[in-house]
Amino acid sequence: AQKMHGRRRPYRTAELARLMYDESLTPAQILRRWRGDQNAGATDMDEENEAEEDEFFRKAKDDTASDDYEDRAIPQYDYRVLERKWTEEENLEDLRQRFASANLSSGANA
Amino acid sequence: MPEPSSTSPLRFTGHKYLTQRLVLSTLTGRPIRISGIRSSSPTQPGLAPHEVSFLRLLDTITNGTIIEFSYTGTTVVYKPGLITGSAAGYGAASHGGVLRHELPKECNRGISWFLIPLCMLAPFSKQQLNIVFTGPGVITSATQTGDVSVDTVRTAILPLYTQFGIQNNIELRILRRSCSGPGGRGGGGEVQLVFGHQVRLPKTLHLLNAGRVKKVRGVAYATGVAASNNARMIEAARGVLNQFADTYIFSDVSSAPLLPSEKGPPGVKRKVGIGFGISLVAESSTGAVYSADVASPPSGGEPPEDIGRQCAYQLLEVISKGGCVSSIGANTVLTLMAMGSEDVGRLQLGRDVVGSEDILMLGRDLRGFGASGWGLRDADDGEGDIVVSVVGRGVGNVGRKIA
Repeated sequence: AQKMHGRRRPYRTAELARLMYDESLTPAQILRRWRGDQNAGATDMDEENEAEEDEFFRKAKDDTASDDYEDRAIPQYDYRVLERKWTEEENLEDLRQRFASANLSSGANA
Repeated sequence: MPEPSSTSPLRFTGHKYLTQRLVLSTLTGRPIRISGIRSSSPTQPGLAPHEVSFLRLLDTITNGTIIEFSYTGTTVVYKPGLITGSAAGYGAASHGGVLRHELPKECNRGISWFLIPLCMLAPFSKQQLNIVFTGPGVITSATQTGDVSVDTVRTAILPLYTQFGIQNNIELRILRRSCSGPGGRGGGGEVQLVFGHQVRLPKTLHLLNAGRVKKVRGVAYATGVAASNNARMIEAARGVLNQFADTYIFSDVSSAPLLPSEKGPPGVKRKVGIGFGISLVAESSTGAVYSADVASPPSGGEPPEDIGRQCAYQLLEVISKGGCVSSIGANTVLTLMAMGSEDVGRLQLGRDVVGSEDILMLGRDLRGFGASGWGLRDADDGEGDIVVSVVGRGVGNVGRKIA
């Protein structure tokens, strides 16, 4: 948890509350500003933002593809990144705290 | 509460968040005008088939709604009426109180794209809502356009309404399953939604403890393909999840829906909506639900093991984001909270859930419709979550108003 939340600490809540109703910015811009320059992690949200920028330039020639970026309930994940993330023992240990079976050894209820 | 219809419509641009704005407009009674709908697109300007169908659906369940399109369909003026549900005399009587809504075969969104906004309207309806979605465009599975499957709606979205005291006589029946058809368009499934619990005002909500995930349930579905696909998806998903929690995944196998073929001699039917997919829902000790959905792409080529594993990893990712409601249910919960009584409700959400475009836009849209702004503060428990405070607007149900 420390690793994940340590990274997020710069994302201050008060900052988001302030930016949220600034009508001169689009939500994508707000999020980029809120996250600061911490794009090194390249989370899936960042990719979505990039995709939207791409869409802006691509719209004229390839419209069917840009339709994919509307109102998704499930964000587009890069499953290779996810798989790598959730096979690392460190991340799995952090996540185990979110489960009721936290004190059990792994595979206890197979 | 509907204000006099003479008020000037709220103006929005773009096709994004269309259902959200239409729902808010219907709930608050404010007319809206949406312009610039794909106006820069040379090939498909204006409303897409599924969006037109959603507008027709709104027209079906309301009385007195006025919808005006521009010639090109890039501008819509929507003046909402009263939400009547399946009241007698509005088209439902001839089918025994059941409304039928037919989706066109060009529809490339899953049925959940229609169901989730519809469920937000249903508690404020005058009478119960009983509607069957049918036609060649009904896709019950998850889709490539990012919609969740109908199983997730049933097991992860509808239980959210229980928190608001809306729980009786709500049922989502899957009459016929379907995956997305060729090119991601059309399916041929059939789904019935019964939403029989109408309220005056939803309860004020205080959800601050996400608890710990105690079990994972899921549904693996295969339409028109071998049942072994289900077994393979389930095994791969369990391989990832078994170390965390008690996991049980149901298997549902059905044949592919038959639709009349456009090509070839009349009377010939063809199978559409062939594929498989999996929906996983994790439930916490305090009733918070997290869900994940993956389905095979219509083009095929993905082995079921990959689908199962992807879905499991997606579930872990959603759980790791935390909060009492995942991003899929957050729109529903926040909208209902804003419609609640004039009291402060609190909801703890994951940092990445609040910090997403959809939620920010919902907050802005809600304020545009006259709700007060959200208060954001850090949660106390050191999990890095954000507590969103929402003041209800006391809009509630006009049809059920006493005095």
